[in-house]
Amino acid sequence: MASTVVAARGRAGETSAPAVEAQGLARRYGTVWAVHDASFRLERGQFLTILGPSGSGKSTLLKLIAGFERPDRGQLRLFGANMDGVPAHRRPIGMVFQRLALFPHMTAAGNIAFPLEMRRFDPREIPARVARFLKLVRLEGLGDRRPHELSGGQQQRVAIARALVFEPELLLLDEPLASLDVRLKEEMQLEFRRIQRELGVTTINVTHDQREALVLSDRVIVMARGRILQEGDPETVWRNPAHPFVARFLGVGTMLRGQAEPGPAIRIGDRLLPGRAPNPLTAPRPGQPAVAALRAERVRIGTTGALTENGTRLAARVADVVFEGERVLYELVVPELGEAQLRAVDLDPGSHARHRPGAEITVSWSPDDLLLFDASLDPGSDS
Amino acid sequence: MALLVLLAAPSLVVAGASLTAGEIVRFPPDGLSLRWYSRILDASELRDALLRSLEVAFVCTALAVPSGTLAAIALARFRFRAALAIQLYLLLPFTVPLIGSGIGLMLLFGELGLLGRVWPVGVACCVINLPFMIWAVAASVNALDPELERAAASCGAGPVQTFVLVTLPAVAPGIVAGALIMFVLALNEFLVSLLLVDARTVTLPVQMYTQIRGVITPDLAAVSTVYVLVAAAAVLVLDRLVGLDLFLRAR
Repeated sequence: MASTVVAARGRAGETSAPAVEAQGLARRYGTVWAVHDASFRLERGQFLTILGPSGSGKSTLLKLIAGFERPDRGQLRLFGANMDGVPAHRRPIGMVFQRLALFPHMTAAGNIAFPLEMRRFDPREIPARVARFLKLVRLEGLGDRRPHELSGGQQQRVAIARALVFEPELLLLDEPLASLDVRLKEEMQLEFRRIQRELGVTTINVTHDQREALVLSDRVIVMARGRILQEGDPETVWRNPAHPFVARFLGVGTMLRGQAEPGPAIRIGDRLLPGRAPNPLTAPRPGQPAVAALRAERVRIGTTGALTENGTRLAARVADVVFEGERVLYELVVPELGEAQLRAVDLDPGSHARHRPGAEITVSWSPDDLLLFDASLDPGSDS
Repeated sequence: MALLVLLAAPSLVVAGASLTAGEIVRFPPDGLSLRWYSRILDASELRDALLRSLEVAFVCTALAVPSGTLAAIALARFRFRAALAIQLYLLLPFTVPLIGSGIGLMLLFGELGLLGRVWPVGVACCVINLPFMIWAVAASVNALDPELERAAASCGAGPVQTFVLVTLPAVAPGIVAGALIMFVLALNEFLVSLLLVDARTVTLPVQMYTQIRGVITPDLAAVSTVYVLVAAAAVLVLDRLVGLDLFLRAR
């Protein structure tokens, strides 16, 4: 780590420095550490999503980056410059807020011009720039409306334009999409991605929506209880959750409890199920309680197809069938695993008949798809 | 409906009486005329008293707006030790009898040699009624989204720019509402004025009271009606502003 610090030391705006470099950032409220020892790097031009449930510390981490909160410990560098003691209004950051926080007494254009006036842009240049950004967010002709005269989606766009108009080096998004309905949310997600790519601005997005994280991001950080549990590109985090919490939060489908065996494998009742420990730090120790995560779409239904080496094949009973349009979700009960519940999905429900509740079927999976963790790390089904 | 009539009755009676063509106050009036309105235009002691009341109201409002606004924002934003004492202070207008605070101010102003002048009455009204100003502004401040000031900071606005360009405009409806309340209260103030003025510097309510003790002529009814109309105009403006307040909300 010491070598990174030395390499990053230097004048602000040094081209080789990463966009964000956090080392051991921590923030305490009373006796609770809202953010605990957060360290990560973000390269220029990348889109990072900090993913976690409410109370995970993700918003506090964003406030530390924005400068609205001061860290109790640790150090933050933005583009090579140390942010110690730098107030929020002197940081090269644009931000879109959860409740948007548009200035109600200004027009849309007034809102977008405000950062330019505050950052002392040439007054003659401001109108043209405001017009350019109104166009970028597709609000041409609506510049003289007040925020309350605009629809929810249009207000979102004003907030985005206001955050980007002075071409900040870093854009922060504090769950601005959380309150939108699904259709508008998906539209705005694509809008964020389009604008972010068009301008190439480094972006940090905070959300509790794992789908949004996967859709938008180059990098994902998963947080829980103030700690960073995993950092990586979305696909790696999705395929190889490093922590049982991450597996649960990404909606893995089934979590099975049992006892760890060498191999690695998990013993549930009399049955030994071979699996894979995605991370040595969270791997179960043989003889200790273990928890296994099995993603619903990796469970094969029926007896067709050869079993992978070391794979598992079990008889199951259909307890419930949920038709979800593009897929069918089966709730299964496996007698051999002590009546354990299992989820499986049929991703091509149109091509063949559906199984009915009560039907006896066969399920199988490859050991690569059964992810094993130390059970003491698992927060339980409530989260 | 009956309640509305009851509430409006004194104003209606006095307005009716002011239109009398006769020589004494009576309801219903003896015929209709505006002669008493033209009479009050000529009555110099009433007109001078009105001007003094306006001066009192302006002095009071001019003091109350900055002090009440800053106090309200500070109270709503910062938690400090004196908070309980300030909460109690905000209840004062309901608890301390006006005659009590009036006598206190009379003694104080007497010591300072300020009795018998007009502007100290405005100061007194401001001191006594300031909690109303603070309430009005605090309601606006509490309705303010705290993200608004952070948003200003993220736009590059320093603390002073944020306060002047974002916080103040956002709480402006509360400030204007409070200012109007202070103005009307000071314009109508009777008891404190009575204690602080002398015969040459009476305010309008005191002047009217003095005249009532002599002969009650219809010009007093006319003045009262003008008074009611001024207050009603203030209430209308207030209503517009409270409406405006909603109007300004982002969502």
